[in-house]
Amino acid sequence: MRLAVPSWISGRLWRRRWEQAKEKAAGTPLEIYYRASPPAEDVELDEVAIIALDFESDGLGEDAALLEAGWVGMDLASIDLSTARRERIRARDALQETAVTIHQITDSQAAKGRPEKDVVDELVEKLAGKIILAHFAQIEAGFLNAVCQRQYDAPFVGHFVCTMQLEQRWFPKERAADGLRLGKLRAAYGLPQYRAHDGLTDAIACAELFLAQLARSGAKDLKLSDILMRG
Amino acid sequence: MEIEEILSFLQRFAPFRDLPEQVLGQISRRMEIRYFRAGTTIIEAERENSHFNIVRSGAVELRIGGTALNHRLGEGQCFGYPSLLRGDRTRNQVVALEDSLVYRIDKDNFLELHAAHKAVQDFFHADETRRLRRAVESLRSSRETGGGQMQLALPVRDLLRRNSVTSGSPDMTIAECAKAMADADVSTLPICGDDRLVGIITDKDLRRRVLAHQLPYDSLVGEIMTADPITLPENEQALAAKLIMSRHNIHHLPVVDSAGKIKGVLSANDLLTRLGMNALHVIAEINAALDAEAVAVAAQKLEQVIVHLVGNGVDADHVARFVSAIGEAVHIRLLELAETELGPPPVPYALIVFGSLARREQAGGSDQDNGFILDDSYDAIKHGAYFSGLAQRLCDGLNSAGYVYCPGDIMATNEKWRKPLGAWLEQYRGWIENPDPDNVLNTTIFFDMRGLAGKTSLVDQLRSQVLEWSVANKIFLSFVARAAAATRVPLGFFRNFLLEHDEREGDVLDLKHQAIAPVVDIARVHALAHGLPQVNSLERLAAASAAGGMSGEGEADLADCFEFIRDTRFRHQSRQITAGDRPTNNLDPKSLSGFEREHLKDAFKVIQTHLDSISRSHAGGIS
Repeated sequence: MRLAVPSWISGRLWRRRWEQAKEKAAGTPLEIYYRASPPAEDVELDEVAIIALDFESDGLGEDAALLEAGWVGMDLASIDLSTARRERIRARDALQETAVTIHQITDSQAAKGRPEKDVVDELVEKLAGKIILAHFAQIEAGFLNAVCQRQYDAPFVGHFVCTMQLEQRWFPKERAADGLRLGKLRAAYGLPQYRAHDGLTDAIACAELFLAQLARSGAKDLKLSDILMRG
Repeated sequence: MEIEEILSFLQRFAPFRDLPEQVLGQISRRMEIRYFRAGTTIIEAERENSHFNIVRSGAVELRIGGTALNHRLGEGQCFGYPSLLRGDRTRNQVVALEDSLVYRIDKDNFLELHAAHKAVQDFFHADETRRLRRAVESLRSSRETGGGQMQLALPVRDLLRRNSVTSGSPDMTIAECAKAMADADVSTLPICGDDRLVGIITDKDLRRRVLAHQLPYDSLVGEIMTADPITLPENEQALAAKLIMSRHNIHHLPVVDSAGKIKGVLSANDLLTRLGMNALHVIAEINAALDAEAVAVAAQKLEQVIVHLVGNGVDADHVARFVSAIGEAVHIRLLELAETELGPPPVPYALIVFGSLARREQAGGSDQDNGFILDDSYDAIKHGAYFSGLAQRLCDGLNSAGYVYCPGDIMATNEKWRKPLGAWLEQYRGWIENPDPDNVLNTTIFFDMRGLAGKTSLVDQLRSQVLEWSVANKIFLSFVARAAAATRVPLGFFRNFLLEHDEREGDVLDLKHQAIAPVVDIARVHALAHGLPQVNSLERLAAASAAGGMSGEGEADLADCFEFIRDTRFRHQSRQITAGDRPTNNLDPKSLSGFEREHLKDAFKVIQTHLDSISRSHAGGIS
């Protein structure tokens, strides 16, 4: 299967955004991320290092507080749990109530987390040279950008892969309204049901779904551009 | 940081659930997750392997190297480890049957985990059949510590038969020691110096280290004794003695006090007698019974004997021997009583039994299989009524005692099985020289024969002639081997109930026909092919191995399987009896623990391998 190259990634446009962001990030910890050159879009996918990422937050907007970040490294063949991380983030403000009920993270627990900057410093360093995998990755892309603006006053530009979008693109069909939710898709692939809903569990769940999607697609010799999220 | 879903998954399955949480945390952080589409090969046979695998979801199939066998693994089951433990290439191919999520640990981490934890070692014992052996041991010891009438909890000092102990000293000559042993009628002599045990000699040592080497009898015993033998503190439990004996394959164990002073020598026989006390009481009661009714009353206690023996962790082979000894006593006593009533037999005869009792492998719920071999001087007109009356009393008495009438009418009451030796010989010759492929299965039981009473040399004569014919007749052997190989062990059955969501085939496992009979068949084929006079299956296998009919390893494997399966049956029967039901051979697979299932599967694989092997060696050409 050969897919069209996403318009926004093609050529110089994306590269220019990257260079601009790199300039802005100079002198901040984000500089390390931009120092590694991003994987080229026509690179063979089996040479690409991937990080599956999930944030827990108290909202979906740009100003939402990040409560937790979970991530795990993987490649086309396997998920490497030795790279799995789950970091609680200290709340900037009191938590919004909905998040508390969904994630069962209380103020006092959240207060025990590390400062947002510490966690993000570490995360962006880990992301250097890699592509980012998430379910509904626009959210993670938005959070990463917002938190980088907040902490480093510089944007985050990266390569994202979205399992929700891949499902639509590779296996298009009529679905129920919630048919593209992570849990529903996993069930359809016969993947185990996970009870926990922390950042790390969701990152692993997404990583597993990605492996299942790749296996079902049967596609050989995929290139990075075949799977990248289209904006 | 815990990877919660992984941790809680590991906590559900052996051997991981037996490991500390902190260790599981470490394992989970060293794992790798892979996904395999149905139909993809996960591991190739005959390759280097560098990972241990656990099925997280889906199902995979193990294709046993070089055979048509396969078996299916579901959630929580492991594969790819035998090659890691052997440090060798893989033997089996593993294929995803369903889309499967698999957790992997690399070789070094797995071996490290394996080295550090006994639970892991026990579970992944390199060799499947040795896993079986360990399974038997651990089942038994868990049972032993699980409560009940705990003779095995008695301190060993209470089991010592003698109050005083005969011992020697290292500066005694071999001749002096031998004399001391003969005088005290002991087969083992502890050797003590300064009141402490320093060595031990046995009858066997005298044979092997003295006689065989023509050592002068005035040599000092210190030169040939086993120095610093394994000892047992007197307050240790009988259970410990039993485990040490079976682990080191020794039959005599010196018991010492806290100062190392010898208190006595515990023999395996002492231990067994104590454990089988109930059985011996029942036999004594049968022998003393004054009529068939009293025999029946005593024989009803057989069921309690099974419960008692199983509860005390006696191995299946000995349970079967005790159960058979009771069956034997019932037969013999009933005949004695009948002879008392009818008068002495007009011509010599032998009571011949067939099947499990002949093999000394009886379990609960057995029916009767017997006949009379009459001396060739038998005259139907003059003696017919006597033997018919004798047979009637025997078979009725057996039926009342719980050994129900044989559904196939293999009983002395049937004239076909009550006839002179010459007619028996003709009968067997017909089976051997003109084997009827459709009937071979029905006649195999006759090839397990034992004389129980009367002139048992008639049975010996019959057996040796039969063996002479069978060894020489390849066609007959091929029929018997084929019939044996045709009994398929229920591998597929297991494959299906292994996964709970795939449960459709059959409700019960017939342990007797599906698991025990195949081993008995294998042993019988070897006996018939090599002219072995042994009847007991384990003895047949040992003799077959000595005669070169099978490898020593193969024999040990099969013996382990046989023990495990029979142990499973006896424990099952014991549960049934305790619940007030009649003991049967039918097992609801759902009642098996995961542990038992795992090992039954292993056992079935070994049995299947041997069935294939006898079919290759004996059924060749026509199968």
